[in-house]
Amino acid sequence: MNGAHRTGFYVLLLHTFRTELRKAHGWVGLGLFALSSVYAAYRSVGPRPEADTWNALVWLVLMFSAFNALARPLADDVREVRQYQLHLLRPQDWIVARTLYHGILLTALACCVWIAFAVFMGTTHFEGMRFFWMLLGMVVTAWSLAGAITLLSALAARAGAGFGLTAVLGIPLVVPILLLSSRFGQAVISGLGTAEKGESLLFLGTFGVGAAAMGFVLFPYLWRE
Amino acid sequence: MKDRVALLASGALLLYVIAMTCLVPLGPGLIALEPVADAPLQRFEVVGLGTHFAGQTTQSRVFVGQPGAVWEWRVLEARSNSRLLVESVWPEKLRSKSLDLFVYHPTDGTLLLENALHVEHVPVDAMTTFPALSQPIPPGDALGLHFPFQPQIFESIRNLLWHVPMWFTMFLLAGIGFVASIRQLGSNRLLAADGQAEAASRVALFFGVLGLITGSIWARFTWGTWWVDDPQLNGALVTVLVYGGYGVLRSSLEEAMLRARLAAVYNLFAFVILVILLLILPRFSESLHPGKGGNPGFNAYDLDSTLRLVFYPAVVGWGMLGWVLYRLGYRMDGATRWMEAQDAPQDLGIASTPFSVNK
Repeated sequence: MNGAHRTGFYVLLLHTFRTELRKAHGWVGLGLFALSSVYAAYRSVGPRPEADTWNALVWLVLMFSAFNALARPLADDVREVRQYQLHLLRPQDWIVARTLYHGILLTALACCVWIAFAVFMGTTHFEGMRFFWMLLGMVVTAWSLAGAITLLSALAARAGAGFGLTAVLGIPLVVPILLLSSRFGQAVISGLGTAEKGESLLFLGTFGVGAAAMGFVLFPYLWRE
Repeated sequence: MKDRVALLASGALLLYVIAMTCLVPLGPGLIALEPVADAPLQRFEVVGLGTHFAGQTTQSRVFVGQPGAVWEWRVLEARSNSRLLVESVWPEKLRSKSLDLFVYHPTDGTLLLENALHVEHVPVDAMTTFPALSQPIPPGDALGLHFPFQPQIFESIRNLLWHVPMWFTMFLLAGIGFVASIRQLGSNRLLAADGQAEAASRVALFFGVLGLITGSIWARFTWGTWWVDDPQLNGALVTVLVYGGYGVLRSSLEEAMLRARLAAVYNLFAFVILVILLLILPRFSESLHPGKGGNPGFNAYDLDSTLRLVFYPAVVGWGMLGWVLYRLGYRMDGATRWMEAQDAPQDLGIASTPFSVNK
């Protein structure tokens, strides 16, 4: 490794944010997709849904919004930039930066979805501390999704197949995450103790960290020409 | 040659498994103790499955009891092979409200139904003492070869010889694919390991689907529905979907070397997901599925000597069948590629294939 020219993952992370924020249509599009999903859900189930409906819908909307974000290629994902990065970066830096980027992006998206749900559908099921528990659950889910899907979206991008392939490869992985999340949501709604809620969060986190670790190990094999 | 021996051996073993599945009878067991409608507390019917009550009526004996307290009820008549009419005898006091039922028959041996009856009309005193039985409950004669009687599972216990080895075979082939993918990433020059990983993952997917189907049928006859929301079942479905994605990924790539590399990366990922979802997570969550919720698998199946006699050959037979399918698939892929290479000799990526076609 030519250490003198190596840049850390934080440089790439900052760079990714800078280039992505410059193109408003990317992240504004994601936000609009999330908001219109929430609004579609609101129009179809009405303003004050039952707790179970609330719980199911919020995770579904989060999942689809997150997928939209994860499957979208970034400005840097073109052949020329990749050739350039091959010389400049270690693959580990690249996957760490991309996972962090996805994590932060999805966290912001989860907060948007949560606020939009609270505005449209009310928070009658989430009084007091439950509101923050649910928000915490959504953030952990966002990071778990980012950890699990980032490798697959890089793989689909490398295969040149784009959105469709990311969905085919990623949806199976989303199922266990969705199950854990909705179990967590039910625990919050029915007011179970910290142990039960913490257990779901721990599983979610472990799943995300495990998958991200696999990505860290395997990504270098995707990277090289 | 080796493959042919394995094919013959697995065929013989699976013929044995099929024969035993169809021919070995289920052992006798008790299903219920039902009160008779016109004399609810005096007369009861013992309901059995696979029992032979009608044969030697006078020799059937019925006992009820609780820990430390067993007494005999009088047998009136055998209404059929599976229904025995008995007259109840009640003590002054009971130790608890729950009664176990023992039925002795010379052919069936002594059968037990735990918590057969919930008693309300006799007062309960935990300190009550009972006299010992004048005659002990006799041991039965040895039964012939039979599968163990399990409540709820009944005849469907035969599925153990199909469903469980199919998942074992799936794990075996996924493991072969995992090792082949590691070798592929390690060398990156030969495509042989890629071909092995592809063939193994394809057969693994096939056995996973078979495992899902047999499991679903079993669920229908024991749990009452084709599918239940359960960590083990969800994990199995997701695993099969992940292995299905492997084929989609391969078919979306044209260039052989890149396909080999990306498919190997995905296959390693898929195997780790399999281990997490099927072998780790279900052990930490509550599950209807036997062998989960913190237990290792085998205790819950109550493998008895008859089941072992068929189960272990079944595991070996299905495993070998999977191995043979994998080898055949691998060699057929090689032959196809070789023939395609004959048509397109200018394509060096294909013509330099290291597959041995005729081994």
